[in-house]
Amino acid sequence: MDHTTEPLSRIPTGMRYYFGQEARLRRIVEETGMTVFDGWSYEEITTPTVDYYSLFEHGMGRAEAHRAFRFTDTDGRLLALRPDVTSAVARAAATLFAERERPLRLCYAAPVFRQQPQSHAEWRRESTQIGCELIGANTSAADLEVLTIASEFLRRLDLAGDYAITLNDVGIFNGVAERLELDPTLREEMRQLIDVRNAADLERFLAPYTSATEAQAFAQLMQLSGKRESLVQARSVISNEQSCAALDRLEGLWKVIESLGLADSFEIDLGDVARLDYYTGLTFKIYVNGAGYRVGSGGRYDGLTASFGKAEPAVGFVVDLDALTDVLHVRRADLSSTRALQGETPKLVAKGPNGELPAGKTGIPAGHLKDRQECLSPDSPSDPSAVFVEALKKRAKGERVSLGLER
Amino acid sequence: MPELTIAVAKGRLQDEALALLAGAGAGVSSQDLSSRRLSVEDESGRYRFIFVKPADVPVYVEHGIADCGVVGRDVLLESGTDLLQPLTLEIGRCRIVVAARTGVSLDELGMLRVATKYPRIAAAHFGARGRPVEIIQLSGSVELAPGLGLADCIVDLVESGRTLRENGLKEIEVIDESTGRLVVNRASYQLKATPIAALIDALRN
Repeated sequence: MDHTTEPLSRIPTGMRYYFGQEARLRRIVEETGMTVFDGWSYEEITTPTVDYYSLFEHGMGRAEAHRAFRFTDTDGRLLALRPDVTSAVARAAATLFAERERPLRLCYAAPVFRQQPQSHAEWRRESTQIGCELIGANTSAADLEVLTIASEFLRRLDLAGDYAITLNDVGIFNGVAERLELDPTLREEMRQLIDVRNAADLERFLAPYTSATEAQAFAQLMQLSGKRESLVQARSVISNEQSCAALDRLEGLWKVIESLGLADSFEIDLGDVARLDYYTGLTFKIYVNGAGYRVGSGGRYDGLTASFGKAEPAVGFVVDLDALTDVLHVRRADLSSTRALQGETPKLVAKGPNGELPAGKTGIPAGHLKDRQECLSPDSPSDPSAVFVEALKKRAKGERVSLGLER
Repeated sequence: MPELTIAVAKGRLQDEALALLAGAGAGVSSQDLSSRRLSVEDESGRYRFIFVKPADVPVYVEHGIADCGVVGRDVLLESGTDLLQPLTLEIGRCRIVVAARTGVSLDELGMLRVATKYPRIAAAHFGARGRPVEIIQLSGSVELAPGLGLADCIVDLVESGRTLRENGLKEIEVIDESTGRLVVNRASYQLKATPIAALIDALRN
């Protein structure tokens, strides 16, 4: 077809309109997220929509940055429509905010653009990332803070019981790969076998390195996610120092998650080995019933800010606002048809007169606060779960919290 | 409401796949099998099966419309989809090969014309060897192409090799082996972990 006769009605692949109820819902989801971030003392930041391509090459790694829309500036330098927000936030932390007191807490809701979508199911080329970054704190409390924020966000969207957050630590894989002395090609081969959960081929791959029993135990371990027992099993199979340190970190996190009564929504998934070059510790993925693809991901990326001249620890996550809106839109339609029969109007979130949220939508199950209060002595601030119980109580009342984290 | 939706590739793999699933406690009644319905439940009511073209199995599973699927590795390689593959099934064993007319040497050619139903696999194979190729995509009877002069060679699936021989072709190189695979959607794997783990266990034994 001659391009002059190309119909003006056509829009590019992977782009779409939002209007009516769906647009309103999308706005509510965004505001819910930004309100939660604000409640944990995160400050909003807007980063440039157009930036140098080299920023994203450093910030995301070459393979991910390659998916960006690229074009040249008047001076010939390569520009990109931002494919992520984290890269620019990390740069700002190392430059603009270099002298600010740590930890830095920053959040955003912004569209990102990718010329090549990640998978066939993820067809969008423009999607809105809503996320937060906690920079300058290298403690498990910092990891826990972002996990708690993610939980609160999902629960405020009335998704309690319909989401799962899977946890892993890249140190576990890295330690094993190092002990086996794998070269980069073999290391990537092992990573891919674990990533697609191909236990039989993983066992064959490991055969030259270890006994059949050990290979089988390791393959089993990488295949299925679970609760605390996954860590117990892992310790019986893995003994190298780096992996064990990672298992210790995960176990520490898990204990607090359990004591906060959140364990139902969390899984330990030792087979989650995506983007190992990017993350340096904890990694997590967020799945929601009704979405065929993960709706969010995050983790610790202590190596990132160093590329911008100031090495410091950082942890954060992003959620795909559009994927989440899709799920809620369908659920809401189902809900309306049920409720219409009962003569009720559906509400996304029922709020109290001061904007406070009912228990159960605040990141902790109803009735749990009182139990925790009784069994935790208030004078043990070093117990991370005590700190978080206090924080969650404040959040339940709609109060703002700001945790003092060690550097 | 069934716990899991399983997409099964119609055709070559279907009977063996259903026999395997029946052995794992997910059997379809003969009445349902003989019907023309494309979506049926197993006798326990725990599983829903949908019957789709092989190339559509990864599509349904990647979108999460089906939680799992049974499909050949050849289809997965060609589709390039992002799916979990927890189990290799000993069904539908075959090879993906390069074949040409007997007596023709491909090394003498500066540019290869390749007829295939697997353009992606063919491009990756010759690309890795640095050979310039023109890929001619066909949807069937690929073995005809070299004899009629449409292509210098073919990339195709071979089980016994009889079709190749009867059309004057010989196998030059094996690109990969293929058997059936159980594939699982990444989100379902986490959100429906218990029934999926049970299915994997049952199929493994």
